[in-house]
Amino acid sequence: MKPALTRRDFLAGAAAAVLGASLGFGQDKGVVKKSRVVLARRSDVLDENSQIRQDILQEMLDEAAAKLVDETDGVGAFRKLVRPGETVGIKTNVWSFLPTPPELESAIKRRVVDAGVAPDRIGLDDHTVRTNPLFVHATSLIDVRPLRTHYLAGMSGCIKNYIMFAESQPALHPDSCAALGSLFNLPQVKGKTRLCVLCVLTPQFHGRGPHHFDRRYVWPYKGLIVGRDPVAVDSIGLRLLMAKRRLVLGKEQEVPPVPKHIRLADTRYGIGTSDINAIEFIKLGWDGDILI
Amino acid sequence: MLRAKVWLLAAAGLTLFIFSPGGPVTDFGQTIPKTIGDWTASGPDRTFNRQTIYSYMDGGAEVYLAFDLRQIWSRKYAGPGGRELTLDIFDMSSPEEAFGALSCDREDPPAGVGQESTYGGGLLRFWQGRYFVSVTSSSGDESDGRAALDLGREVVKHLGPAGAKPEMVGFLPEASLRPARTSYFHGAVNLNNRFFVSGDNILHLDRSTDCVFAEYDAEAGEAEDLLLVRYPDAGKAAAARQSFLAGYLPEAGAEGLAQAENKKWVLAALHGNYLAVVFEAASPDGARKLVAAVKFPEK
Repeated sequence: MKPALTRRDFLAGAAAAVLGASLGFGQDKGVVKKSRVVLARRSDVLDENSQIRQDILQEMLDEAAAKLVDETDGVGAFRKLVRPGETVGIKTNVWSFLPTPPELESAIKRRVVDAGVAPDRIGLDDHTVRTNPLFVHATSLIDVRPLRTHYLAGMSGCIKNYIMFAESQPALHPDSCAALGSLFNLPQVKGKTRLCVLCVLTPQFHGRGPHHFDRRYVWPYKGLIVGRDPVAVDSIGLRLLMAKRRLVLGKEQEVPPVPKHIRLADTRYGIGTSDINAIEFIKLGWDGDILI
Repeated sequence: MLRAKVWLLAAAGLTLFIFSPGGPVTDFGQTIPKTIGDWTASGPDRTFNRQTIYSYMDGGAEVYLAFDLRQIWSRKYAGPGGRELTLDIFDMSSPEEAFGALSCDREDPPAGVGQESTYGGGLLRFWQGRYFVSVTSSSGDESDGRAALDLGREVVKHLGPAGAKPEMVGFLPEASLRPARTSYFHGAVNLNNRFFVSGDNILHLDRSTDCVFAEYDAEAGEAEDLLLVRYPDAGKAAAARQSFLAGYLPEAGAEGLAQAENKKWVLAALHGNYLAVVFEAASPDGARKLVAAVKFPEK
């Protein structure tokens, strides 16, 4: 069992190692089958008023999904992820300050329909997924939300997005939300997640105030992080937050306190991989200020 | 006879509580203006308690639940161009707790609203009496920020008299203290968001502990940090020190002193049911002097 991350790990420059990430990030050791994660970015996905350009976002999603499953286009990719006759639940996030963009929800839904799933068998929900019939009967789930920091869990990503499947959300809060990985082993969820989309169009790297939101800490990164493994996707998301925080807030605030749930989702709950060396990380598109 | 007097006193206290300024949060729906300049109250006022807070705050609930939060009263104001202000008034049960809520989150400069305040990026926070208040603008731009400040100044008028800071703040050595950086809290979640120490709760902090975290001017613009924790009894303080040394400072000897990787010194010292921890000290003597200057209460 690894010791808890402490302030001294930052002083020693060893924080990443304690979190499960290594200095060999991005190197292909080529021995074990890796979790593939794709980062797709486009400099023109936001217009001059910071509004999302739907057509560009659709292209980004298609490129990322195609690369993820070795297909040539988005429709082909989604045909590998979901099948006709299925019931698909798209677990979104409606947090008022930084929700999943409707443009991204509709881009995903469009490709699920293109893959042959009937529109009336596609659910889109956040707070009522436990009782929504389309989620109760879902055979596949798609996990989509923006990346941001969180007072308690350190980071809100694809793992934490499933907290609405829990009977009691506060029960997941102790010890920096250490048990969030258990959500993926719930009967309503287990084995059903086909795609994770961590929206990093405008991620939030720090928070202030009661709602942990302050627009000063949101930046236009203009990307999507896409994978099938929520732990691998969140591990890349955490690296991005750490890189931005190190740049703006300094080395001592590099890690948002305390994202222990990501490593534990791997080591305690076995739902994915947090070891950066076991992640095949592919970058597509614009590389300005890419940070990772 | 005695029982009748007790009832009379209780009734008088309840009357004062309900009808004096700073009474129950539901009164704010009547007393706080629904129009401030170009901004008008929109939607129903809402009230949340310790159980329902999770439906309102994603991520911040535990930060306030770690204090003696009683209720939140919330109202939205709609402004030009579809923009929005969110007013949240937290009844923290006591002035000490209200000060604590503000003190853990004041990286921005003061704004001159309420007893103490902090403002930046369209986000205003202040405390007054037993209330902690925040006004959040959806856009974060300067004009909305001015409206947030106007709203805050109006709200202060309805919160009742000022209150006192926690007595532990008075225990801090005053020389070189940065008063605006002093924080008061109880739990590990507040400490870690203020000054990250460990991913585990190695100091055994919970709602039974009272903590003050303070910064002191050091050489070259750097800061030395003092964490003062009051435990329910001396045994718990000693156990927490032992846990801290094992988890954070294993190389420390009996004195509880060791040098960290950045060449700065850390000292953990017991005083009855208090634990004082100095971080980032330039020298062992500097750490010892800071602890020696703490004005621990007489037994």
